[in-house]
Amino acid sequence: MTSRSISKRCSTEGIAHSRVILTVRLPRAEAVTGVGVSLVVALLVLPPLVAVVFAGTGSGFAPLHHPDVVLNTLLFGLLTTLCAMLLGGGLALSLVPGIPGRVLLERLVVMPLYLTPLLTAMGWSWLASPKSGLVNLLLHAAVGARVTINVVSAAGAIVVTGLTAAPLPFLLLSDALRALDPTLLEAARVHGAKPRLVFRRIILPLLLPAALASAVLVFVQALGMFSVPAVLGMPAGFNVATTEIYQSLESYPPRTADATAWGVLLLAITVLLTFAQAAVLGRRSFVTITGKAFRPDQHRPRAPRLRAGMAWSYVALATVLPLIALLWAASSAFITADIGLMRFTSQHFVYVLRDYPKTWLAAGNSVLLGVLTASLVSLLGLAVSWIVLRTRHRGRSLLDQLSMVPLSMPAMVFALGLLWVYVQVPLPIYGTIGILLIAYATHYLPFGVRATSAALRQLHPELEEAARVAGASWLHAMRRITLPLVQPAMLAAWVLLFVMSMQEVSSSILLYSSHSIVLSVAVFDLWENGNPGDVAALGFLQLITSAVVVGVVLGMRQRRGFA
Amino acid sequence: MSRDVAVEALTVAHGTVPAVRDISFTARRGELLTLLGPSGCGKTTTLRAIAGLEIPRQGRIAIGGQTVFDAAHGENLAPERRGLAMVFQSYAIWPHMTVFENVAFGLRARGLASRDLPHAVRRSLDLVGLGAFADRPATRLSGGQQQRVALARSIAGDPAVILLDEPLSNLDAQLRLTMRAEFKALQRRLELTAIYVTHDQEEALVLSDRILVMRDGIIEQEGTPTEIHGTPKSRFVAEFVGVSNILPCDVTGPQDAAVAVLAGGLRLPVRTNGMHGSACVCFRPINVRISPTPGAFGQPATVTALSYLGDLMQYELRSFGLTIQARGVPDPSLVEGAQVFWSVAPDSCFLVPEST
Repeated sequence: MTSRSISKRCSTEGIAHSRVILTVRLPRAEAVTGVGVSLVVALLVLPPLVAVVFAGTGSGFAPLHHPDVVLNTLLFGLLTTLCAMLLGGGLALSLVPGIPGRVLLERLVVMPLYLTPLLTAMGWSWLASPKSGLVNLLLHAAVGARVTINVVSAAGAIVVTGLTAAPLPFLLLSDALRALDPTLLEAARVHGAKPRLVFRRIILPLLLPAALASAVLVFVQALGMFSVPAVLGMPAGFNVATTEIYQSLESYPPRTADATAWGVLLLAITVLLTFAQAAVLGRRSFVTITGKAFRPDQHRPRAPRLRAGMAWSYVALATVLPLIALLWAASSAFITADIGLMRFTSQHFVYVLRDYPKTWLAAGNSVLLGVLTASLVSLLGLAVSWIVLRTRHRGRSLLDQLSMVPLSMPAMVFALGLLWVYVQVPLPIYGTIGILLIAYATHYLPFGVRATSAALRQLHPELEEAARVAGASWLHAMRRITLPLVQPAMLAAWVLLFVMSMQEVSSSILLYSSHSIVLSVAVFDLWENGNPGDVAALGFLQLITSAVVVGVVLGMRQRRGFA
Repeated sequence: MSRDVAVEALTVAHGTVPAVRDISFTARRGELLTLLGPSGCGKTTTLRAIAGLEIPRQGRIAIGGQTVFDAAHGENLAPERRGLAMVFQSYAIWPHMTVFENVAFGLRARGLASRDLPHAVRRSLDLVGLGAFADRPATRLSGGQQQRVALARSIAGDPAVILLDEPLSNLDAQLRLTMRAEFKALQRRLELTAIYVTHDQEEALVLSDRILVMRDGIIEQEGTPTEIHGTPKSRFVAEFVGVSNILPCDVTGPQDAAVAVLAGGLRLPVRTNGMHGSACVCFRPINVRISPTPGAFGQPATVTALSYLGDLMQYELRSFGLTIQARGVPDPSLVEGAQVFWSVAPDSCFLVPEST
């Protein structure tokens, strides 16, 4: 396509049905970017979606024969969401000004975002599996075998997933709380409402849209969650759709049709839910954003120590205890609660670093994929947000919606779609990290778009326009004005995207090959076939790798002197 | 090098709603032309179309005789190639640069040699009185200083035309007056062609060589400040420039001794501009004379309300069932309920068509 016809197409998209305008040429770089970005997003999102729907709705729809698993999946999703919402919402409402250690706690409660759910689940299984769990061994030593906490169960899978998912509603609800116009609450107080009534009649209803939005997000994530049910549910015979997909593909011969049918079921549920959410929120959208600080109460909050204590308990359960269990398993010769028998060893680290053949390959692949995904998604996200926020192209709201589709598409379902597409399409990426990159980039695109559009919204459009009028071309203005100004937000997004890519399991487990194995898959592989100490050591290495790369990137940024 | 700007039959639309409809005007070389109007009248859209930040539907724009936009021939020069400068309402000072870099950005982008750069930047910073601030980060400036940087940035490249979008509206009242005077002096001295957008009629009257009053995307009236202030041609312009007595009337009598007959039979001698029949007679409160005696043309009235304006007093009078606004030096005898006579000189009255 020549640049002329591209710019022509772009201007027809931008300014409708005016015959005259057809000939107005938009500046070239801008137009090429607009069309290119829309094409890339459409090519990433649509083919796998279409493939899953077509491939999965054939004869013998597997979920029909397993109503128990369908019920399990729905129950798992609902109860996990309930658990995460209670935890996240409770934390958001608890951590208000006046709570001791609030700033530190606000950072600590989001730590599960940086830990992988797989490691948290494994940590909990070492802590509280019925026979060998550390907590149970201690309990039995103290009170005998009467009391046992069994985390390898449906309830265990639900609670642990809830623990790992709680930071999301916490973040969304704290943002909503901060954005509440404090005069709305003050008006209620002045007109005679007691704090309890203000909370029930003003704060809760105003938080409803954010609560609903985060509940839907958590539910979709829970439905797509593979690692926790695989580690804590499968051994107890508790199967959900994702574990069914995994088992269908692991069996010999692989039951691809069954796997895809489960994918279609998941997709149907999440799509329905997304529409329902849009319908509900469409009717009641509250604009309360004023930018003033939220002051829920000028007085000291009630029971500050209790609230801080609850937040600390969450930090302990979701982060500290699983991490301790991980370190402990990685460094002890065998699992015991008897201090006399404990023996610390470096044999597990030696094994995974020297003898386990997949470690270095997987680490290299993971870092490469993480860097590529984070860079690609943050740039693509910025391009999408820029087009949506800064241009008047006709297709821009479609582009916005398209880039949000992966939010309602579980990663595993998307991976199934990719399998179908690239079995047919003669592109040599099947079994390479290329296909993983496509899966990651698409799955995390909504995060990239949201993060960058928040940054762009903060930036007055006149800053770019001033550069244009001053004589800078579009590219020059983007490079010298827009990019430097969104750089801090881009970097934060990059770090989060990198960490999320490093911990991705659900789609990697379906798409990897022996050459393109990644760390999270290697960990899962060892979990299924290896020694707990070795798994723990590899999992610990996975965390260290993430931390080192993030540290290097942040260090580079400081040396370059950006504030 | 200052140049003129010609806008011909310009139409700009956002979606299906036209914001600017088929307007034409010219800003002459070295002239300060103001687009004046309430919010939503299309003045900023017009300015942005000249800058190349909006793509119009129809029309032609030429700067110094060179076409920069022509819908009929598919010409649309990118903003950076129009040789303009613009002062934005938000100032748009780039926060990641120093004052020096903000001013230098456009000079570099337009290819000024780097050895000439410090001198050129220094000169325009000196012109706005910010010579000592060159190395200051842009985030550490007050509102007034940001305004000056925006101005320095726009005059630095010796632009063909400088566009200003409500540049003073974010400043407090005192600073606004100072900056207004400084800008006017600078514009005269450098003989800049300037197109200035504002909703503040006083600002427009003080600054402009010519004013275009805009309304709903069209030019309602064009003229010098004296013309706009003294003889608004429509009810809208009259209201916008602060004429608060606009009274429906019937114009009768010969050309040289015309009389406006108002409700209640009140008769005011007026100068007609050929208008006859239904119209509105308009006069400013400051031109209403109040006296305790009838005099030559005095009309009886009752004072119904007073508001203290500082140097002046605003009186509301009730006369023949009409409400008349008057303004004068405070007079202790004029209290609420006082019976007075008012008059207005025929030269101070003008007629506008009845429709709004």
